[in-house]
Amino acid sequence: MTQPDEVLGQLVREVRLQVFRAAAETAQVPQAPQIAAALGRSESEVHQALQQLAAGKVLILAPNNGAIWAPNPFCAVPSAFRVETRGKTYYAICIWDALGIAAALGQDAVIRTACGDCSDPLVLEIAAGKLVRSEGVIHFAVPAHQWWDNIGFT
Amino acid sequence: MLLFRAEEHVDRWCETRNIKRGATLTPQQGWQLADGWYRDKLKPEWRRHTLEEAAALLAQVGLTGAFWNLRG
Repeated sequence: MTQPDEVLGQLVREVRLQVFRAAAETAQVPQAPQIAAALGRSESEVHQALQQLAAGKVLILAPNNGAIWAPNPFCAVPSAFRVETRGKTYYAICIWDALGIAAALGQDAVIRTACGDCSDPLVLEIAAGKLVRSEGVIHFAVPAHQWWDNIGFT
Repeated sequence: MLLFRAEEHVDRWCETRNIKRGATLTPQQGWQLADGWYRDKLKPEWRRHTLEEAAALLAQVGLTGAFWNLRG
């Protein structure tokens, strides 16, 4: 007999795969109504699954309305970290995730951002799995054990 | 995690915001870390790294010491 936890576990897996598949293929992060429609589930079920995924640090929900903010490395809203690949533009919440988009997609990519201090444009480029254009220095302000204390700031 | 033009830009950013300076790494280290961290994220069989696996990824890139300790 199928147990409730198993049913939820299966739904969580389906939602995870749908979120990341859609984000990768379209450069648009789907929200609960689109996910529910794609999977033939109710929005309530999808919200429940998203809460589980957020609790497991698989993705980040917006604190105000529970919408998907960042199914890392992807970001649902335009940001200062643009990743251009396959004729599409993706966004990330930080430079680590911007590089992570190129890694997750396994594609050549150009990453455009700006110096956090002076706003000068900075560009990194990945080609054939290697960093082929590089400038600047990455700063982590938060020690590793505190990354998830305030992931938005991190 | 932000990208800066140079180390002195990190210093100025921290000073003007009264933020304690953290740690810096090169874009090459950042790429290696991101590649190890996210390479499998789209695969159906993906699962979160264990603490030990995450620590190993950091260490492989040369990120060791108290700042990079995931256990605090």
